[in-house]
Amino acid sequence: MFMNPALRKACRCRVRGVALSILMLLLVSGPSRILAEDSAGLEIFEKHVRPVLIAHCYECHAADEANGGLKVDSRPALLRGGDSGPAVTPGEPEKSLLLEAIRYGNPDMQMPPQNRLAKAEVEAIEKWIRLGAPDPREETLSPETPKALGLSIAEGKEFWSFQPLQQHQPPTVQQTDWPRNPVDHFLLAQLERQQLTPAPPADKRTLIRRATYDLIGLPPTPEEIADFLADESPEAFEKVVERLLASPHYGVRWGRHWLDVARYADSNGLDENLAFGNAWRYRDYVIEAFNKDKPFNRFVIEQIAGDLLPEANQETRTATGYLALGARVLAEPDREKLVMDTIDEQLDTLGKTFLGMTFGCVRCHDHKFDPITQVDYYALAAIFKSTRSFADSNTGAIKHWFEHSFADEAEQERLKEIDKQIAEKNRAASSYKSQATTALVNQTRALATEYLIAAAQLHPSQSLNEVAAVAAPLGLHPRVLHHCRLHLHYHQDDALFARWRELAAAGDLAGIEQHYRPLFTQAEAAWTQARKDDPKATRLEDETLEQARLALFDAAGFLAIPAKPEFAFDEATLTEYYRLMEEARVFESQAADLTAAMGVSDGTIQETLPVHIRGNHRNLGVPVAREFPEVMRVSTVRPILPKSESGRRELAEWLASSQHPLTARVYVNRIWRWHFGQGIVNTPDNFGLLGDRPSHPELLDWLARTFIESGWSTKQMHRLIMNSAAYQMASRHPDETSSFNKDPENRLLWKFPLRRLEAEPLRDAILAVSNRLDTTLGGKSVPLRNRQFVFNHTSVDHTKYDSLRRAVYLPVIRNNLYTLFEQFDFPDPTMPTGDRQATVVAPQALLLLNAELVLESADAFADFLLAQSMDDTQRIQLAYERSFGRPPSDHEIQRALTYISEWTSAALAEREESAPSKTDGATKDASPERQAWSLFCQSLFASNEFIFVK
Amino acid sequence: MYPEHSLLATRRHLLQTSAVGFGHLAFQSLLQQTATAADATPPGRPADPLAAKQPHFPPRAKRIVFLFMKGGPSHVDTFDPKPLLDRDHGKPLPFDLPRVTFAKQGNLLKSPWKFRQYGESGLPVSDLFPHVSRHIDELCILRSVHGTNPAHGGALLKLHTGSDQFVRPSMGSWVTYGLGTDNQNLPAFITICPTLAHGGVNNWGAAFLPAYCQGTPIGNASLAASQVKVKHIRNPRHDETTQRSQLDLLAEMNREHLEQSGASQSLEGRLNSFELAFRMQTAMPEVQDISRESAETFKLYGIDDPVTENFGRQCLMARRFLEQGVRFVQVTHSDSEVQWDQHGDLYRGHTKNAAEVDKPIAGFLQDLKSRGLLEDTLVLWGGEFGRTPTAQGTDGRDHNPHGFTMWLAGGGVKKGFAYGATDDYGYYAAENKMHVHDLHATLLHLMGMHHDQLTYRYAGRDFRLTDIAGHVAKEILA
Repeated sequence: MFMNPALRKACRCRVRGVALSILMLLLVSGPSRILAEDSAGLEIFEKHVRPVLIAHCYECHAADEANGGLKVDSRPALLRGGDSGPAVTPGEPEKSLLLEAIRYGNPDMQMPPQNRLAKAEVEAIEKWIRLGAPDPREETLSPETPKALGLSIAEGKEFWSFQPLQQHQPPTVQQTDWPRNPVDHFLLAQLERQQLTPAPPADKRTLIRRATYDLIGLPPTPEEIADFLADESPEAFEKVVERLLASPHYGVRWGRHWLDVARYADSNGLDENLAFGNAWRYRDYVIEAFNKDKPFNRFVIEQIAGDLLPEANQETRTATGYLALGARVLAEPDREKLVMDTIDEQLDTLGKTFLGMTFGCVRCHDHKFDPITQVDYYALAAIFKSTRSFADSNTGAIKHWFEHSFADEAEQERLKEIDKQIAEKNRAASSYKSQATTALVNQTRALATEYLIAAAQLHPSQSLNEVAAVAAPLGLHPRVLHHCRLHLHYHQDDALFARWRELAAAGDLAGIEQHYRPLFTQAEAAWTQARKDDPKATRLEDETLEQARLALFDAAGFLAIPAKPEFAFDEATLTEYYRLMEEARVFESQAADLTAAMGVSDGTIQETLPVHIRGNHRNLGVPVAREFPEVMRVSTVRPILPKSESGRRELAEWLASSQHPLTARVYVNRIWRWHFGQGIVNTPDNFGLLGDRPSHPELLDWLARTFIESGWSTKQMHRLIMNSAAYQMASRHPDETSSFNKDPENRLLWKFPLRRLEAEPLRDAILAVSNRLDTTLGGKSVPLRNRQFVFNHTSVDHTKYDSLRRAVYLPVIRNNLYTLFEQFDFPDPTMPTGDRQATVVAPQALLLLNAELVLESADAFADFLLAQSMDDTQRIQLAYERSFGRPPSDHEIQRALTYISEWTSAALAEREESAPSKTDGATKDASPERQAWSLFCQSLFASNEFIFVK
Repeated sequence: MYPEHSLLATRRHLLQTSAVGFGHLAFQSLLQQTATAADATPPGRPADPLAAKQPHFPPRAKRIVFLFMKGGPSHVDTFDPKPLLDRDHGKPLPFDLPRVTFAKQGNLLKSPWKFRQYGESGLPVSDLFPHVSRHIDELCILRSVHGTNPAHGGALLKLHTGSDQFVRPSMGSWVTYGLGTDNQNLPAFITICPTLAHGGVNNWGAAFLPAYCQGTPIGNASLAASQVKVKHIRNPRHDETTQRSQLDLLAEMNREHLEQSGASQSLEGRLNSFELAFRMQTAMPEVQDISRESAETFKLYGIDDPVTENFGRQCLMARRFLEQGVRFVQVTHSDSEVQWDQHGDLYRGHTKNAAEVDKPIAGFLQDLKSRGLLEDTLVLWGGEFGRTPTAQGTDGRDHNPHGFTMWLAGGGVKKGFAYGATDDYGYYAAENKMHVHDLHATLLHLMGMHHDQLTYRYAGRDFRLTDIAGHVAKEILA
C-alpha cells in the first residue's frame, strides 16, 4: 500500500521510539535493578564477558567508534543495538544478534571479523545472556548521540538547490554598453562588484573557430571563415550560430555530451565483456533528439518511461536504453544481489544525471551530507524493483539484459537460422579439436613403453629443451614426455611404476622394455576382448592388467597430453584449428542482429520494498512504499501510483515538472559547462552539500526559468548564451595579472577560458583538416554481434578504430577503450560524467608523435597540399588556414619553407650516401619532399594552437 | 627574435635554450617539490603529479611487485596442507557450504601432491613448487585471505580495486597517487601482459583518479612476452634525428603561441610533455630490453626453457623496471584460457601452471635478493581466489573466495612466517582472517601510508582503496 508522508514519518519515528522507550525503561529500572539473583551473571560478566568485549570488540564498537551503528560499551548501547536491531535480548540468547555474530553461523554476520572467539568465550556470553545479561556499565554519552549526518529534511529544504526557482530581474550595471542580453547583466554586475572588467571582444577568426568547435566539434573551413569575415552585418555571428545549429553534426557534438552523462558504451565490460550490439540505437536516438531540439522535459520522460507512454513507439522504447546501459556484474551468481546492484546503478545514474545527487551512498545508510534518507532510496528502489531490466535468457552463467524487440515473425525465423549457423561454425571448430586430440591420445598410448624408456633417461627438473633433445630422435612429443617424467616423480608410491623406478635407477632401459611392453600390450588386448565379450564391462579382472589399463587410459595420467592446443598440436593442425575458430568468430561478428533496443519494461509490481540495512539484501528492515525523495517534493499532495505499473512514468513526470527545483537547474548548468568549460555550479554532477555553490545563483535561476519558458529548448539556450557579450570575449585580458589575482579560476568570467579540445574533436579535426573525414551519420558501428564476447578468455581485442567517421561512431568498449580516447580523458563509461578532465600528460604526446592515425593523416594532409596547383608559400598558407583558422605570418612561412627544404635536401643527401641505387625506385610516397611536408603537417596537428581553442 | 636561419643547424642552440628556458625551469622546480602522500593535488594543477611524494610515515617497502596468478590457484594443493582432507577424502564436507557457490560441489577431494617441509622455518610446500620452496625462509605466507565474490570478474576487480560492484581505481593507481614515482622518464605503474578479460583495464585503471595514475600496460595476456611493448612508444617510420628536428620545430611554434596567448600552465605543461615523451621513447624500450642480460640470468629465470620462458621474461622485465624506480609493477600469469581455473583436470592443469611459474619466481626472488632489492621491494603472489577442498566433477575444484593463500616476500614483512589459517579442510578463513580490504590496508601500510588517510574526493565523496573497511595485519610486520 502507498504510505502517506505522515505515516512514513511515523515509521521513522517508531524506530527511534522503540529505542527511546527501551531507554526510558532502563532509566527507571536499569542500573538500580542489580539484585542478588544477578550476582552470578555479574560475576560471569566481569570475569568472562567484559574482558572479551574490551579485547575483541571495543576497537570498532566503543566510544567514538560505532561501526554498523553499534556500540557495546554500555548496557543501553547493547540493548539498543545497531542498524540491524538490538544486539542483546536479555534472557534470550537465541534472539540475541550478538550471539549470532560470535557463533559464526551466519556468513553475512561474523564477529570479530578477523578471528572467531574461543568456544569457551562464546559459551560464557551465551550463559550471561541467559542470566539476563546483567551489566553495570552505564552510558557515558547521551544515548541520542547525533549521528554524523548532514542536513535534515527541514534544513535541506532551506539549502539553495532544493529551493524553488526564484524569479530574478537582470541587475543594472555601470558599463551599459557591454551587455548584449540579460546573461551579460548578471555576469557584469558580479564583475563590477569585484572591480573586474570583461575582456574585449574576440576577433572574428577566433569567434568562428570557437563557435564551430563548440557546436559541431569540427574546425571551420577556410570558406566558412571567409564568408564570416566578408559578412559585415551586425547579425553575422548570429547567422553562423544558426547555420551550425542546423547542421546534423550539431547532434553529433551535443549528443555526445549527453552520452557522457548517460555513461554510454557498446559493451558491458564489468566482469564479463559482452557487446551491447543494440546500444547504437540509443546513441542515434540521442543525436537525433538534439538535432530536432526535442524539448528536454520530453527527453527526460522518454528515457525513464518511454515504454509506458500511451503513444509508446520504437523511438520512445529505444530511449529507455538510458536505464539499461549500465555496467553490470552479469555473471553474479547471487541473483538477488545482481538485481539490487542493478537498481543501485540505475538510481545512482539517474540521480547524478538529472538531479546532481549522489544516491549511491544512500543504499547503505542515510546520506552523510545531503538530506536524503534510506527510506527515500528504497522508495525509489521499489519503483525500479517493479521494473524489468533482465531478460529470461542467459549464456551459461551470464544473464542477459532486457531488450525491446521490434522484429516481426519473419525476421525472428531468419535470426533463428543464423543462430543455428553460428552454432554449427563453432561446433566445426570444437569437433576438429576433439578429433585431433583423440588422434594424439591414441598415438601417444601406442608409444607408452617408449615414453617410459625415454623418461628413465631424464631427471624431473630437466628443462623442456633438454627433454625435447631426448624426445625428438624417438619420435615422442616433448611436452608429453616432460609431463610423463614429472608424473612419475609426483607418484612415487604408484605400484604400477615401482618396477620402472628400480629399472630406471639401474639404468636398465632394456629391462623397462621387457617389463612394460608386454604388460601394456596385454592390458590393451584384454580390454578389447573384455569389451567384445561384454560391451558394458567397466574393468579387467586381473588386477595388474587393470592398473596398467587405467594408467594407459587416464587422461590425466602419465601420458596426459597438454590441454592447450598450441602445446599439443603440430603446426598444421593448429593452423587449421585456429582457422576454423576465426571463421566462426568472424561469421558471428558479421551476422545480423535481431531488430531490438536495450531498455526496460515493467516487471512484477512491488508496491513496497524493505529498507536493506547496510545495503545488505540479506538484512531487511521496514518496508517502504514507492515514492519520490522527500526533500525534493514539490507538492504536499502525494501522487498516487498505479498498482498495475512500476511508477516510472510518474517518476519521470515528476522529474520533468517545471516545479522541480533541480532538473532544469542541473541541465542548464550542464549546457553552460559545455560552452564555457566550467559550470555556474562547478560540480555539474553534484548539487548537494559537498558540491560547489553557484558562482551566479541568480543567473542560474534566470536561465532555468528562461529555459522552461522557451519550452525546454536546448537550441534556444545556445542562442542565448552564444549571442551574449560574455561568450564573445577574447581569451586574453589587457589587465591579465590583476584580474588573475582577484579571480584566479576565472569563475566570474572576466575572459573567455582557453580550452583543450576533447578526444573526439581532436581526432575529428585531424581527419577533417587532412581531408579524410567520412561524415556519414548513424547506424551500427560496433563490429560485434549483440551479446558476442568482446574478448572472452582470449584477451584478443578485435575491435578496430580505423573508421574515418565521426568519433561518436567509434565503438566504446568498456574495459578496453580506444587508446586515443583513454589518453585524452574520454570519461569512464561506467559512470555519468558531466565535467570531463583536460589533463596534459606525456602519453598524449607519444600518441601524437607516433600513432598511425596521426602519421597517416599527416601524409594525407601533405598529399592534399601537394595536389593543389599552388606554390609552396600558398600551400603553407592553406595549411595554416585549415589547421588554425588563420593565415601564417611571413616569419612562419619562412620557417616552414626552410624546414621543408632543409629536411628534403638532408634526406636526399643521406639517401645518396647510403643507397644510391635505391633512388630510382623511390616512389612519390617515399619522396623526401612528401616526407618533409608530412612532418610539417604532423607538427601542426601536435601544436598547442591546434589543440587549444581560444 | 626568432632564428630565421636553418632549424637543423641550430638544433644544439635550441636544445640549450630549451634546457634553460622558463618552461624547463618551471618543470624542474616542480619536480623538486615534495608533497605529502595524497596531498590531494587537484587534477589540472601544474605541479608534476608524478614527482615522488613523502609517505605518511617511514615506509618498509618502496615499491611493489604483484605476481598475479589468474584463475585462482588452489591453496590446499600449494601452500596450505590439510591432513584432514587426505583422511576424509571422498566424504562430504562436515559443515555448511556457502549460501552462494559458483558451481555444484561434490565431496572432499584430497590433494594429488605431497607436501614437504623446507628451510629453517620448516613451512610446508607441495611438490608443485620445488624451486620456490627453496626460498621458503623469505616468504610470509598469508593463509587466511578471503574475498567476497565467487566469480572471476568480481573477484579480480575486488582484488585489484577493492570493489566488485563499481569501477574504482586500482591499487597500483592508489599507490601512484599517494607516492608518485622516482623515475620521471618511466610510468609509475606498469602491468606486464595483463588479462583483458574479467575486468580488464579496470584492474589497472585510474577510474576517477587523475590520468597519470593509470597503469601502463605492456602487451596483454594473449601476446608472447618477447613481443610486447607499450603502445606508441616507437615511431614506425622516423629515426631519432628526424623526430628531434620535428620536435624542435614544434617547440618553437608552441613557444610563440605561448607568448601570444599569455602565461598558461597547461600550455607550458604541454610543451614539456613532448620533451618527456621523447625521453620516454628511449628510456622505456631500453629498460624493457632484456637482450643484454647474461646467459646465467636467462637460466636463473628459466628463459632458456620453453616452459618457463614466457613468465621468466615477464619477471626479468619486472626486475628491470623495479630497479629503475617504477613504483608498482604487476606481472600476470595468464594465457588464452583462464590459466589456474581448474574446475576439472586439476592435476594436469596445476602441474603445467606451476611448472611455468615456479622457476621464474624462484629466480626472480634470488635476483632481487642478490641485488639488494628485496630489502625494500614488496613481492605479492596469488590469485583472485583459491579453490574448494570439495570436488567439482572427479578431478576439479570450484572457485573459493572464502579462504585462500597469498604470500608476501621482502619489503618489511616477517620471513619464513605463516599468518592466519583456514579451517581443517581449507574452505573458510578461520584464524586471523584477512579480507582483501585488510590485505590492501596492509600493503599501503608497508608502503608508509595510512589506508584511511589516502583519500580522493570525487562526486561528493572521499574515496579510499579500502572503502570503509581495512585492518592492518600488524603481526606480519618484521
